Amino acid sequence: MDSSSVLSTIGTDIISVMSPVSICMLLVVFLVYSLSPASPNNNGTSLRTAATLVYLETPSDTATQKLEGALLNALVFVVLISAVTFMLVLLYYYNFTSFLKNYMRFSAFFVLASMGGSIFLSIIEHFSVPIDGFTCFVLIVNFTVVGVLSVFSPGIPIFVRQSYMVVLGIIVATWFTKLPEWTTWVLLVALAVYDLVAVLVPGGPLKMLVELASSRDEELPALIYEARPTISRNAERGGELGVFVGMGSGSVELQPVQHNDNVGENGGSSDQNFRARGSDNESEDEETSPLVANSVQRPVTSGGNSHHSQPDERLFGSVSSEIVEEETSPLVNGASSGSRAVERRRSRRDGGDHDSDIGMTMKAGIKLGLGDFVFYSVLVGRAAMYDLMTVYACYLAIISGLGCTLILLSVCQRALPALPISITLGVIFYFLTRLLMEPFVVGTSTNLLMF
Amino acid sequence: MTVAAGLGYALLALGPSLSLFVSVISKKPFLILTVLSSTLLWLMSLIALSGAWRAFLPLKTTRWWPYAILVITSVVFQEGLRVLFWKVYKKLEDILDSFADRVSKPRLFLTDKMQIALAGGLGHGVAHAVFFCLSLLTPAFGPATFYVDRCPQMPFFLISAIISLGFVTIHTFSMVIAFNGFAEGKRMHQVFVPGVHLAAALVTLINLSSGGCMVGIPILYFLVALTLIYCGNMVWKRLTEDRSRRH
Repeated sequence: MDSSSVLSTIGTDIISVMSPVSICMLLVVFLVYSLSPASPNNNGTSLRTAATLVYLETPSDTATQKLEGALLNALVFVVLISAVTFMLVLLYYYNFTSFLKNYMRFSAFFVLASMGGSIFLSIIEHFSVPIDGFTCFVLIVNFTVVGVLSVFSPGIPIFVRQSYMVVLGIIVATWFTKLPEWTTWVLLVALAVYDLVAVLVPGGPLKMLVELASSRDEELPALIYEARPTISRNAERGGELGVFVGMGSGSVELQPVQHNDNVGENGGSSDQNFRARGSDNESEDEETSPLVANSVQRPVTSGGNSHHSQPDERLFGSVSSEIVEEETSPLVNGASSGSRAVERRRSRRDGGDHDSDIGMTMKAGIKLGLGDFVFYSVLVGRAAMYDLMTVYACYLAIISGLGCTLILLSVCQRALPALPISITLGVIFYFLTRLLMEPFVVGTSTNLLMF
Repeated sequence: MTVAAGLGYALLALGPSLSLFVSVISKKPFLILTVLSSTLLWLMSLIALSGAWRAFLPLKTTRWWPYAILVITSVVFQEGLRVLFWKVYKKLEDILDSFADRVSKPRLFLTDKMQIALAGGLGHGVAHAVFFCLSLLTPAFGPATFYVDRCPQMPFFLISAIISLGFVTIHTFSMVIAFNGFAEGKRMHQVFVPGVHLAAALVTLINLSSGGCMVGIPILYFLVALTLIYCGNMVWKRLTEDRSRRH
């Protein structure tokens, strides 16, 4: 009986984004935990990367020195990122799309093979896994090749692609946790600010990139996690977030639609297409990226009569068989027949639910840039170096920030940066936990006091 | 003690919640979101409390009354927060109902409401276990263990895991009781919840005296059993009422 209750459908969207992010963070924390004691001297002689071009932190420096150095590092890093992003925009503007795609493939290859390989090797070393060199080589090569293929090819199952995105996030984040502490914090804040600017300010590189891509009707050549096809059971996807929209702002009117293929349909498309776009610039510095709400019509105010989902034609490229099925579903204009169509479709969907089909719906799910994965995980990984308590606090803060961003997304219907809210909350909670909560909790619970 | 011990302690404290999560919560995304937000709420309450108490910590005295004040203020604060949580939930319920109307689905069933309450309680409980037990468990994964002077019978981690389990259960199910109490307007339920919470928190004060844990833990588990029975009783009654009303 619960299957018909609204509870089981609401929030699928949010969870489908939150779960990979959680997995990514969890694995990064594990990696940080298990690998950091194995190489204690690595922190002492920290390696010089793009993020520490100016200043290398040493424990003996004073706080002001560290702060200045960290600020400089962050500044340089952000400038680098924005330069690379502008270059990407430029290349994309002049239609070097295949070059960009190949470049992304190359960076995926580089990340998976060299950085991932070295993490793999250190895991082997740390747990002293008996494995011979040849097998190890074959494993890494296979893993890498499949990963590179999965980045942009449509033939690969979306699940593989999603897993590889998470793996890429994990690898890069694990490397980022090797940055010195002060630099990490300042860098995270700087990136959150950068993300905010780049996505929201007119002329910001990411905003330009996203607009360019949506005006051309094509996928961004960038590393993006798509939550789309794992969401299978929703006849009323849009409504899910619509619940929160109703909460957030009484009424949301139709948005100006740039590319609405469904012109004959008034107020009917109840799916919300969110896409988060990411771009990534260097193999090492994955780029922060915004969440983009695609151009859709807002269903929420249209009353209860016309909630039936509408395929988004732009996304048809890869999931053709399902699309056919979807396209045969009726386009209903009338209010009365609309709800019947919903019923019918719902029953069909519910019937097919159990096999957790890939591409059960072909709507654009929420898309989250890989950079967001990376920097969330960097924050949590950095918190893991202090204590488990800070890890939990930061995790909760980030996830709730992500939730807020998603709700905002459904309100705003446009590209949103995913980093600022989460990172701000994460940083605040980290320091609150570290400075305030820890003495309290440790004090009470070592006395075996609880409440 | 090694990884096995650490995992064992963690599962001791959080195992029941984990199975509850997997069997009930994880199937419904909305409930997961409820758990997360309720965990966050509890964390924020803890941060607020620790902010308020930061100036006085660490308590150097061995007398019990400062601790008693600490525990009582904390419980009062958290119970106040529970009322707030209820109010927010009430709004949410209205939104959900109107949403259900809009997509022409049935409104929330009684079981749905109870599941939301359960998820909220589970969030509180998990947050409790995570911050009071799990976050101190890191040393238990190492090669040694740790005993406190006042309770030499068991390792510290084991005691805290056991106490945490008790509190997780109390938190989880008292939220169900409280929500039902608020919904029905029954004073009894509304008073029972803070009462049990306060009693359980005060019982842990016994642990301050040497060897007190051998007394405190059984009393705590008596309270846990009381909560469980009370909750079960109430849910059973409401469900049968509901069923008879529907027929």
